[in-house]
Amino acid sequence: METSAAPAKFSVNVPASSSAITPGTASTLIEIENLDFYYDSKQALFDINLKLDDRRVTAFIGPSGCGKSTLLRCLNRMNDLIDGAHIKRGSLKIRGVDLHRKDVDAIELRKRVGMVFQKSNPFPKSIYENITYGLRIQGVNNKARLDEVVEKSLRGAALWDEVKDRLHESGLSLSGGQQQRLCIARTIAVEPEVILMDEPCSALDPIATAKVEELIHELKKQFTIIIVTHSMQQAARCSDKTAFFYMGKLIEYDDTRTIFMNPGNPQTEAYVSGRFG
Amino acid sequence: MSLPPNPFAAKPSRARAAEKSVFWVFRLATYLVLACGAFVFGDIVLKGSGTVLHGFKTTEQFPYITNTFLFESPESLYVFEHDGKKVEMGDKEYRAFRESVEAKAKLAGQPAPKFKAESYVYSAGGIWPCIVGTVLLVLGSMTIALTLGVASAIYLNEYASDGKIVRYIRLAILNLAGVPSIVFGLFGFGMFVIFLDWNVSLLAGWFTLAFMVLPVVITASEEALKAVPKGFREGSLALGATKWQTIRSNVLPYALPGILTSSILGIARVAGETAPIMFTAAYVVRDKLPWDVDKFSDFFFQGVMALPYHIYVVSSKIPQNEYTERVQYGTAFVFLGIVALIATTSIVLRNKLRGSYKW
Amino acid sequence: MSLESAPTIRPFVIEKARTRLFGLTLDECIHAFFGGNAFMAVVVLALITVFLFREGADFFGQNRANLRIYREAGLEYVDYMRQQEKDHTALTRYLFDVRMRTVKYLTGVKGLTMAQTNAQLAAFDDFSSRYGDTVEPVRGIVADLTEVATAIKTKFTVNEDAKEGRRQLLAGGKKDEAAAVAITNLDFKAELAPLVGTLPAFKDASATFAKNLEQVVATVPVLPTPELQSRMLKFQQLTRDYIATFPATIHELETWDYTKPVPFTQSLTAFVFGREWLTASFWQDWYGVIPLLVGSLMVSFIALVLAVPLGVGAAIYVNQIASAREQKLIKPAIEFISAIPSVVLGFFGIAVLGQLLRAISQVAWLDWIPGFPFAERLNALTAGCLLALIAVPTIFTLAEDALNNVPRSFKEASFALGASRLQTVLRIIVPASLSGIVSAVLLGLGRVIGETMVVLLCAGNRIAIPDFTAGLAVVTQPVHTMTGIIAQEMGEVVRGSIHYRALFIVGIVLFSLALLINFLAQKIVRKYRISIG
Repeated sequence: METSAAPAKFSVNVPASSSAITPGTASTLIEIENLDFYYDSKQALFDINLKLDDRRVTAFIGPSGCGKSTLLRCLNRMNDLIDGAHIKRGSLKIRGVDLHRKDVDAIELRKRVGMVFQKSNPFPKSIYENITYGLRIQGVNNKARLDEVVEKSLRGAALWDEVKDRLHESGLSLSGGQQQRLCIARTIAVEPEVILMDEPCSALDPIATAKVEELIHELKKQFTIIIVTHSMQQAARCSDKTAFFYMGKLIEYDDTRTIFMNPGNPQTEAYVSGRFG
Repeated sequence: MSLPPNPFAAKPSRARAAEKSVFWVFRLATYLVLACGAFVFGDIVLKGSGTVLHGFKTTEQFPYITNTFLFESPESLYVFEHDGKKVEMGDKEYRAFRESVEAKAKLAGQPAPKFKAESYVYSAGGIWPCIVGTVLLVLGSMTIALTLGVASAIYLNEYASDGKIVRYIRLAILNLAGVPSIVFGLFGFGMFVIFLDWNVSLLAGWFTLAFMVLPVVITASEEALKAVPKGFREGSLALGATKWQTIRSNVLPYALPGILTSSILGIARVAGETAPIMFTAAYVVRDKLPWDVDKFSDFFFQGVMALPYHIYVVSSKIPQNEYTERVQYGTAFVFLGIVALIATTSIVLRNKLRGSYKW
Repeated sequence: MSLESAPTIRPFVIEKARTRLFGLTLDECIHAFFGGNAFMAVVVLALITVFLFREGADFFGQNRANLRIYREAGLEYVDYMRQQEKDHTALTRYLFDVRMRTVKYLTGVKGLTMAQTNAQLAAFDDFSSRYGDTVEPVRGIVADLTEVATAIKTKFTVNEDAKEGRRQLLAGGKKDEAAAVAITNLDFKAELAPLVGTLPAFKDASATFAKNLEQVVATVPVLPTPELQSRMLKFQQLTRDYIATFPATIHELETWDYTKPVPFTQSLTAFVFGREWLTASFWQDWYGVIPLLVGSLMVSFIALVLAVPLGVGAAIYVNQIASAREQKLIKPAIEFISAIPSVVLGFFGIAVLGQLLRAISQVAWLDWIPGFPFAERLNALTAGCLLALIAVPTIFTLAEDALNNVPRSFKEASFALGASRLQTVLRIIVPASLSGIVSAVLLGLGRVIGETMVVLLCAGNRIAIPDFTAGLAVVTQPVHTMTGIIAQEMGEVVRGSIHYRALFIVGIVLFSLALLINFLAQKIVRKYRISIG
C-alpha cells in the first residue's frame, strides 16, 4: 500500500490563484456542496463548500462553537445519532457517492471513514480486543488474520514496540498518549479510507502530542486525514491544507502555509495571529 | 510584652450558641430515626431469634441437623395437662401421643384418660412452605421485571430520541412508581385472577409483583446504563458497529453489574409486599408444597403460602398469647432477616461498585 | 470503474442492502422490540385503569338500584321517623354527659361519697328518666314499621333472585323449568299501604311526644354550679329546637312518594359524600367513602407531622452538618429502615407499640396531653407513628438529593460573606432546595396514603368518621382507611356484588389520589426549580 505519487510536504506553497478555495494537485476525495446544517431549529453550518484532497492532511481550525466538529461528524454521519440534528440543504460526497443517498448505509460508511475522538476512549477490554473489535463485529474470527492485523495496526500507530509484550492487558492501563494511539490503531485496523480526528491531542501532554503528530505524518501516506484542532501550531505543523471556520461559516480554505503566512481574509489573520478565539 | 489584639478571635455570642443548639436538634432528629429503626429491628431479632434457635434438632440421617421451625409446615399447637405436667405438642405428635396413651390404658384395662387440650392454630411446626412460596414469587416476578425493565431502560437510554412517546413513557414510569401496592393487588385480581381466569396462582402473583417493581428496575437499569461513558458507544459506532452490536458488546457488559445490584433493592420490595399478593397468589394455608403437582402446568396455576402474608395471618387472625407469640415473632424474624440480608447486599454491593467505576 | 481508478484504491462501497423483515432491518427490529418493552409502562398504567373501571364501573348502577329499593320498600320512610328517635337518643346522651360532669364535681371538688352524690342527684335522675320515657310512643311505631319495611324488601329480594334464576334457566335452554319458577310482581303501592297508613297514628304519637317533652323540660333540675346550670339551660334550648323540627318531619312523611325516581347523580353523591360505610346490614347497606377517606387522611397527616421534621431534619443534618464518616453510616442505615417490610412494622405495632403507647398515655403526669389516657391499643396514632417510620426514609432520601443539588458555589459565596453555617443552611441551602423538599414531602404522603398493611393491622379498623369535636384527642381514636378496607373485605365479598364493586371504586379513588399527588410533586419540582447553571 505504498503511495507512489505523494507530493513532497509543503511543496505546493504558492497560491495558484486569488480564490481561496482551490483544489490542489492531489485528486479530490471529498466534496461538500452548499451544506446547511441544523440542530433542531438552530443553524450550525451555513452554506459550506469544500473540496478535500485524497491522502492529505486537512486541518479544520476556528474558535469553539464555530462548527468545525459538526462538519467533521457529518463526514461519517455520527450526527445521525444526535436528536434533532439534520442537513437541510446541500450534499456531502466521498468519491462521488452522496453520503445521504438512500442506499448508503451509515454503518458501512463508518467502516470506511474512521474517527478518533477528543478524549481517548479505549474500551475497557484488552489491547488485543480493542484492536480486533472492529473486525470481530464484521464477523472476522480467524485468529491468524486477527493476530496479523493487530501487529500491523499497532506498528502503524507506532505502538507495537511499547505494548507487544502486554497485548492482553487492559487498554485502560496505558498512558494517555498511548491510549490515544491505541484508538488510532483501532481505527486503522478496519482499513478505512478517511480518518477523522476530533482534537485528538487536546488532552495530551506535549511529548505525547508530538508522537501523535509524528504518527499523522506517517499515516497520511495511506489515509486521508481530517483533523479538527484548537492549536494553530498543530495545524501548521501537520496539515497540508487548512480550513478556517467562524460562526458556522467557512471563512477561508487554502494551503496551510498560505493561511498562516498570507491569509486572504482579515478575520483569518486576526485568528491565526491570536487576536481572538 | 503584650500580644497585639487578635481581630479574628472567635467571639462567644448568642448566635453561636443558637447555631450549636439548632445543630443538636437536627442531630437528635437523625439519631431518633435511627433509634426507632434499631428498636423495631432489635425487638424482633431478640424475641424472634429464640424460635429459630430452638428449632434446631439433630437427626439420625444426613444432614444430621435440621431446624423444625425453618423446614417444617405449620401445625396447630395443643397444650394440655398430662400427669400433672403441662405439655405442648404439635398436631401430629399430639394425635400419636393420645393414641398411644389410650392404647396403653386399654391394655392395662383402665378407662382411657381424658385429654383437655387447648389448641392454637399455626402455632406449632414451622414456616417452610412460606419460605418456599416467597422464594418462588421473588424468582418469577424478578425474571419478568428484569426482562421488561432492562429492555425498557435500553430503549430509553440508548435508542429513544426525546419525543412525545418517550415523554409519555417516562411519565407513566414515574406515575407507576407512585401507585399504591393495594391498587396493584386489585388490578392483578381484576386482570389475572378474574379476566384471564388464572385463579389465585403463582403466575398471577408474578405478573402483579413484576408490574409493581417495574419502575424500580427501569430506574436502576437506566442509572447503570448512564454510568457507561459515551465514548464507549461512539468509539464502537465509529468503527462501523451497528447499534445493537455496540450495545451488546460495549454497553451491556459494563452496565450489567450495576443493573443487577440496584435491582436487588427491587427484590427486597417484591419480597416485602403483602397487599399485591393477598388476592392474587397467597393462600392462608396449603398442605402441599409447590412442586407437589400432578402436571407441570399446574405448577404455575397454584397458589402458595408466603412469608409476609403468613405474618399478617398470624398477627391478626389468632389471639396473642405466650404460645402464639413464638411463631409470630419467629416468622417476623425470619422474614425481616431475609429482607435485611437482601437489602444489605444491595447497599454494600452498590457502594462497592460506585467506587470501582473508573472510566 | 476499478480499472480506471488507481490500483491502491479500493472501490468506495458504502451501499449495503440489509435483509428486511416486514420492511424493517434487523437493527430496526431490535429497536422496535426494546421500544415495545418500554411502552409496557404505559400499557400497564392503562391496564390498571381499565381493569379498575371494568370491575368497578357497575357500582353506580347497582348502588342506584340499592337506593331505589331503599325508597320503594319504604325503608326511607321509616328512617325519617327513626331519625326523630335517634335525635332524642342524642339528647339523652347529652343529659348523661351533664350528669357525669356533675358527679365529677360533687365527688371531686365537694368530696362527697358515691351514695351522697346519688342522693343529691335524685331529682336529676327522675327528670332524665321522665325525659327518656317521652319517646316511647314513637319508638313503638318505628319498631313495628321496621318489620313491615324489612318484609317488603325481603319479598323484593327473593323475587329478584327468582327472576335471575329464571333468566339463567332460559339461558341454559330449560324452558319448562324456567316457567315453573314462581314470580310475583310486587305491587309496591299495596305493600306500602300499611306503612303509609300509620301516618295519622304517627302524627298523634309525635304530638303526644312533643307535648310531653315540653312539659318535662319546662322545669329543669337545679345543678350546683353556674357552669353546669348553663349546660342544663342549653339542654332546655336544644330540646325546644328539637321539638321545632317535628313539623318538618311530618311534612317529609306526608310528601313522601315511593315512585319518586332516584337520579343517577344521587348514586354518585351517596358514594362521594356518604358519611356511612355500612355493609352486610339487615336494614340497608351504605357505601359512603367519607369515613374511609377521612381515616386515610388523618392517619397520613399524623404520619407526616411526625415524619416531615424528622426526615427533613435528618436530611439537613446528614447533608450539611454531619462528618463524612457519619454520612457513610447514616445514609445506608436509613435506607435500611426503608427496607423493613410494612407487614413487619404492622406486627410490631400490634405486638409492642400499641401497648407501649397506651402505657405511656396512662402515665399520670402526662394526662395534660390531649387524648391521654386512651384505652384503645390500636388507633390512628399507633398507625401514624409506624407510617412515619415508613415515610421518613422516602422524605430523607429525596430531600437529601434536593439539598445535594444545590450548587457548591451558593454555599461558598455565603461563607465568603461571613455567614455562619446555620445562616447558610437556613437562608441559602434550604430555600434553594425547597421545591425538592416539598415534592419529597408529597411523595412521602403518597407513600403513606397508599400503605396497606400497617393501617390494616394497627389503625383499629372502626368504620366511623372520627369525632373531631374531641379536638386533638381525635388522633387517639380508631379509624378505618381506604387501603385497609380493600384488604380486609376483598377476600370476603361475592364477586360482582355491589360491595365488591364498591371496593374497586375505593381503589379508583386511591389510584386517582396517588396520581394526583405524583402530578403535584412533579409540577412543583418543575415550576419552582431555580435555574442552576
